[in-house]
Amino acid sequence: MSMGQGRRRRWCGLACGVLLALLPACAPRPSGLEPPRLAVMLPPGERPFWEPIARAFERRHRGLVVDLVEGPQSTDLRENLYAASLLARDPTFDLVYMDVTWTAKFAAAGWLLPLEDRFAAEELARFLPEARAAGEYGGRLYRVPVRTDVGLLYHRRDLLERAGLAAPATFADLERNARALQSPPETWGFLWQGRQYEGLVCAFFEVLHGHGGFWVDPATLVVGLDRPEAEAALGFLVRCLRAQPISPPGTTTYQEEESRRLFQDGRAVFLRNWPYVWRLAQAEDSPVRGRLSAGPMPHVLGARPAATLGGWGLGVSAYGRQPALAVEFIRAATSLESQRALCAPTGYAPAREDAYADPALMAANPFLAELRRLHAHAVPRPALARYALASDILQRHLSAALAGTDAPGRALGRAARETRAMLGTAVAEAGPSR
Amino acid sequence: MSGAGLTRERTLLLFPALLLLALVVAVPILRVVQLGFHRVELDGGIALHWAGLEPYARLWQDGRWWGALRNTAVFTGASVALELVLGVAVALLLHERFRGRGLARALVMVPWALPTAIMALAWAWIFNDAFGVLNDLLGRLGLVRGPVAWLGGPGTAMLALVVADVWKTTPFVALIVLAGLQGIPEPVLEAARVDGLSAAQRFRRVLLPLLGPSLLVAVAFRAVQAYGAFDLPYVMTGGGPGGATETVSLYAYRNYFRYLDFGYGSAVAVQGALLAALLAAALMGLAGRRGRVRA
Repeated sequence: MSMGQGRRRRWCGLACGVLLALLPACAPRPSGLEPPRLAVMLPPGERPFWEPIARAFERRHRGLVVDLVEGPQSTDLRENLYAASLLARDPTFDLVYMDVTWTAKFAAAGWLLPLEDRFAAEELARFLPEARAAGEYGGRLYRVPVRTDVGLLYHRRDLLERAGLAAPATFADLERNARALQSPPETWGFLWQGRQYEGLVCAFFEVLHGHGGFWVDPATLVVGLDRPEAEAALGFLVRCLRAQPISPPGTTTYQEEESRRLFQDGRAVFLRNWPYVWRLAQAEDSPVRGRLSAGPMPHVLGARPAATLGGWGLGVSAYGRQPALAVEFIRAATSLESQRALCAPTGYAPAREDAYADPALMAANPFLAELRRLHAHAVPRPALARYALASDILQRHLSAALAGTDAPGRALGRAARETRAMLGTAVAEAGPSR
Repeated sequence: MSGAGLTRERTLLLFPALLLLALVVAVPILRVVQLGFHRVELDGGIALHWAGLEPYARLWQDGRWWGALRNTAVFTGASVALELVLGVAVALLLHERFRGRGLARALVMVPWALPTAIMALAWAWIFNDAFGVLNDLLGRLGLVRGPVAWLGGPGTAMLALVVADVWKTTPFVALIVLAGLQGIPEPVLEAARVDGLSAAQRFRRVLLPLLGPSLLVAVAFRAVQAYGAFDLPYVMTGGGPGGATETVSLYAYRNYFRYLDFGYGSAVAVQGALLAALLAAALMGLAGRRGRVRA
């Protein structure tokens, strides 16, 4: 008897232990006690400049906490963190601070709420048209732009002036001027980003459009990579590295920062990069301070210059708990006042058109006038749900051509074939499922 | 209390632990296997459609997958071979008695203790063409004319990955071999010395055969680990140039997170795991046969 009792007691203990262990998982979330909270993940460098925007919003919405989560520095890693969270339908992030290229993927996955009904037409008309259009997918708006980016060409004005040369308008000018002014390996003619990554696609995209070519037409899904314009464009980049090079051999390993450092050290005549370089290169301790000018990337005769459109904007998570408040936050974060708070100290290009007429912003960063002009050349990368795959295909084959393991024409032929295969499946997928 | 009751109670007490293991290990693995038979469509949401063996058929026609497999094989073969040679050398050195041996043993472990992503970043800067230490040293020694873009060429980029991996994981091999060395009875070596064997003969005829099991353990661990290499190529080359350093793990990861293609990504992962299991089984089979031969 006592033995049976002991066993029963042990059974009870075990059962209680298991129940206790499971208890926290079943407890209701104390949502009534916690203040409502809006969370968004930002790049670590931007967080301080979002603080005033968040605090102002909290003051207007009593009891609300805006949680600015500091994400990793790398864009890819932040995208993955957002993707992992949204895949799990996790409500952690109410807002998604997203790069232009994420829009199609996140929208197609059903992770974002459509926003066109939440904003009045005149509100949306205040943004630069290119930046606004980059937030659309399948005819709906999923992302409201906060700041924008365009690829551009930086020049060493002092070197050009001393030699009596004008800023290059065509690729032939660029090659000629670079060759005339460089003295490698101390000073190189032309720096750009040639590592196998998204930046290579951005650099190539500008050269491609500058040659009158295109990558994928998002409306018709026609692939233009095996056309003569594309081969001429890649031929130009390969020529920069071969025979009488105007770009250093390390170009095939450079991202933005490697090329920016070399240029800022005064070791190059031209640099293809983003607007952020201007502010750093004009800093007190910069060797090239006051010796720079900037303009659009060159083009061939008969084509227009092109600037790859980048930039960041806010979307509303489909799994957040406060979609209405999240929309309000976007409205506040894209006000002229917020654009001042974010762009004046950082030098970012604002997404609102009226910000370029704002005396405070223009005084803080006179370069904005040039950036506004450059937006006329902005070209968005194709808005495809599997954009990342299209980009990886292109990156691989461009990189192979630059490394010399494949001829430009052959590399682009392969890239075109693989891109068509990928879009072919995408087209079949859009139809009725088998 | 009866013995049978005790056994049942034991089983019962083990149950929560087993359940936990099943939840965190078995369920995800089964889920990946199951996902591997699906096609993923992105159209206003992520939709899974049963596709049978289609993703596996796609693997066979996917040049990028074959490339990744080849890169992984080259990386694994080269790095494990070098680590084995260097690891044995380091272990023999650390087995000798000398002043400061304790300190030396501790220092040798430092690379192994560093997080891979951080040391990969450091190596990427060492191999940088304009600011890198390597080009600076080679230039001063007059061995290279002009900077070399180590990570910019397919061959040199793979070499750089192997060097970084060897630097990091040689200590691991050395540690296992050192443990093996300490397990060899002193009289055996003494006898070999008395029999007049030279140092080289002692190493080849006595030490190496006795170290066999440790070496196989080291190789098995390292081969499977190198086969799964992800962080090193992710940080140092991003799989470039031209996809020359993209490993199977990197490719699987990109299918999951970048393309949201869980079906195909799972097929890549499952196929990769099967090949790794095959590799491990082959090595273990080798170990078993050697064991029997000696017995």
